[in-house]
This record gives sequence, structure tokens and C-alpha cells, in this order.
Amino acid sequence: MKLIKILSVILLIYTATAGFLFDVPRLPILNETIRVLYFHVPMWFTMIFLLLLSSINAYRFISTKNSKYDLKSYNYAHVGVCFGVLGIITGMIWANYTWGTFWTNDPKLNGSAIGLLIYFGYFILRNSVDDESKKAKISSVYNVFAFSMLIPLIFILPRLTDSLHPGNGGNPGFNVYDLNSQLRIVFYPAVIGFICLGLWITDIKSKIQQINND
Amino acid sequence: MINKILSILYKDYKIEIKQSHLFFSVGLYVVSSIYIIYISYQPTGILSSEHWVSIFWVIILFSSISAVSKSFFQESGNRNYYYYYVLSPDELIISKLIYNFLFIVFVTFLTFILFTFLLGNFITSYSFFISLLLIGSLSISNCLTLISAIGHQVKNNSMLISILSFPVIIPILILLIKLSKISSSEFSWNLIQDDIYLLILLNIILVFLTKILFSFLWRN
Repeated sequence: MKLIKILSVILLIYTATAGFLFDVPRLPILNETIRVLYFHVPMWFTMIFLLLLSSINAYRFISTKNSKYDLKSYNYAHVGVCFGVLGIITGMIWANYTWGTFWTNDPKLNGSAIGLLIYFGYFILRNSVDDESKKAKISSVYNVFAFSMLIPLIFILPRLTDSLHPGNGGNPGFNVYDLNSQLRIVFYPAVIGFICLGLWITDIKSKIQQINND
Repeated sequence: MINKILSILYKDYKIEIKQSHLFFSVGLYVVSSIYIIYISYQPTGILSSEHWVSIFWVIILFSSISAVSKSFFQESGNRNYYYYYVLSPDELIISKLIYNFLFIVFVTFLTFILFTFLLGNFITSYSFFISLLLIGSLSISNCLTLISAIGHQVKNNSMLISILSFPVIIPILILLIKLSKISSSEFSWNLIQDDIYLLILLNIILVFLTKILFSFLWRN
């Protein structure tokens, strides 16, 4: 855990400085907004990673009945959804400068918005049951089920249809523009940094909840 | 195993005959909602296939949610105890899947016939559209059965089932709406290939997950 914390601090300081100061490819329309790659994309990577951990922990809970895993699964989902909301906000700001509007009817945008709705449903489900063990069991089952539907929504469906979003539906992703790895040297550390941050926040949340329970 | 599944299905059928008001209430739900659509589209009727397809699937979605949500509620608490001793969870969930599938097929075809009667239709390839309706009912029932089992365990359930099922069912509904739009313009195998494969894949995943997760959910 200590390693994760140190890594997260160093990499995020690096991302924040290098992300705004380093040279980026000059492209029409995109211009400087290409820097959103360092912040928007890692948010989604972190969200998917944390939600994956959440559903793995949910499965571990229903197979072992150890409430520690349920708590973890809930916290991972919570932090993951926060990152998802940040991802949507950064994406909207970027879209306003490049597409000229905050929101369009695009499969990728719809998929991610619906994906967040799935997890809001999960939180409502958790809050609507009083009995602790029942709550844990039901919400874990729904968590595993919901995650399996999130994958086609975010990764498969947008690739089958035309999409404005970079990297989908025949649109080039950043790796096409990134000829001399200018973007990569900031992008990959940013992804790792944000994932570490997510793990760190989840850890603190779990600890607080454990103290409250005791 | 097959005998047991058949006997549960037979029992469900018996209950359905005995409490026919539930069955007819779903039928009436479909008829009245379609009638509202019919009246609100007067005097011209639906002119474009896009409106037709989206309203069609939305009505099927709502009526199948109300149809499926009752499939677990008609089981009383005592009967669940009895099942717990006689049946394995797999047998119960498979029988529920089949039962819900049959029920949703009924809802879908009722909707289709009424839509055709009142509003006309834009279908060019009937054989494809009818097989699409069958696949669609199968996917909707696979998706909703586990959710209704979850909702059965929670008190404030009818609201919760719709909240939980809408986002989960959307990927399937997107594919179904897209495929129906294709079947109402020009139809060819190349256009639908990817979507059909994806739909079948999603169904396989859903059935497996339902089978695995229900055994955990049921163990009280």
C-alpha cells in the first residue's frame, strides 16, 4: 500500500506538470485540447479497473460469505463511479471545444452514461434493504450481473456503429497521431497514477467504514 | 431434471389458469397502452418506421417488465420452503426462464398483432422480423429473470425492478431496435451479421450468469 501511495503522488505531480507543459502534436481542430488525453482517458481506465475489482470482490463475497469483501466491493464501486463522473465532465469540456457541443447522441457517450446509471441503480438497491447480510448478498449478485452488461455497452456496441468518439467506429485514436511517443510518455504514467489514487481513496474509505462499524 | 422442470412449468400453468386475472391484466396493459399510442397518433397514423420501431419495443419492454415481475411474486413464502427441499436452484431458475420466455413471447406477439391491426407496419422481411421477435423475447426474459429474483427479495420491489432492469436491458434493446430498423428498410444478411452474433453472445452470457448467480441468491 505504501508503494501505491508514493507512486500515486509522484506520478500525479508528473502528470500535472508534464501534461500541461510538454510539447504535443499540433493538429487542426484539436490544438491544445489533445492534452485532455492525459486526464479524461485515465479516468475511464481507472473506473473500469475499480469496477472490475468491485465485481471480483462481489463474487468473492458470494462464494465465501466474508463481509470484508462486500465492504471492499461497495467502496470500489463508489470510487469507480466518482471517477466515471469526472470522466464524463472532462469529456464534456473537451467535446465543447472540439465538437461544439457538450453532449451528442453518440454510442460511446450513451454507453458510458447508461453504465453509470447501472451503478446508481446498484447504490439505490443497497440502500433499500435494511438487513445487512441480505443487502450484501443481493447487491453483490446485482454487481456481478451489472458489470457483465457494462462491457458490451462501453467496449463492444460503440465499435459496431459510427461514432464521433476517437478510437471508435473507424475514428483514429491517439496512437495514430503519436508518431514519436510524445503523448505516450505522459499518458501511461497518468493511467498508473490515477489507478493508484483510486486504490488509495478506496483504502481510506474502507478503513473509515471499518472504524465506524466497530 | 427435465421431469422436474416440466412439472414446475405445469404447476405455473395451473396457477396461471386459476389466477387468470394476472394474465389478463398484462394483456390489458398491452392493449390499453397501444390504444393510447393509436389515439395520440390520429389522424395520420405513424408515418415513419423509426417511430414505429421505437414505440413497439418500448411497449414490449414495459409490459414484459410487469409480466416478469409477477413470476416470482406469485410464489408464497411457504412454497419457497417446499421448493428448497425438493428442487435444485438450477431446476427452478431454468423453469422460470422458460416460463418467462413463453410469457414474453405471448406479450410480443400480442403487441405485434395489435400494432399491425391498428397502426399498420413497415416490415419488409416477415420471416426475419418474426425470428427477431423470438430472439428478442428470449433475450428480454434472460435479462429480466434474475432481476425479478433480486426484486423478490426486496420489499419495495415494483419500483426497484424497473430501476434495476432499465440500464441492464438497454444494450439488448439497442441491438433489437437497430435490427428491427434494418428489417423495415432493405434487408440483407451482411447488415445484420455482427449484431445477431453479438445478441447471441449476450444471451449465452446472461443465461450462464443467471444460472450461477441464482444459486447464491436462493440459498437463504
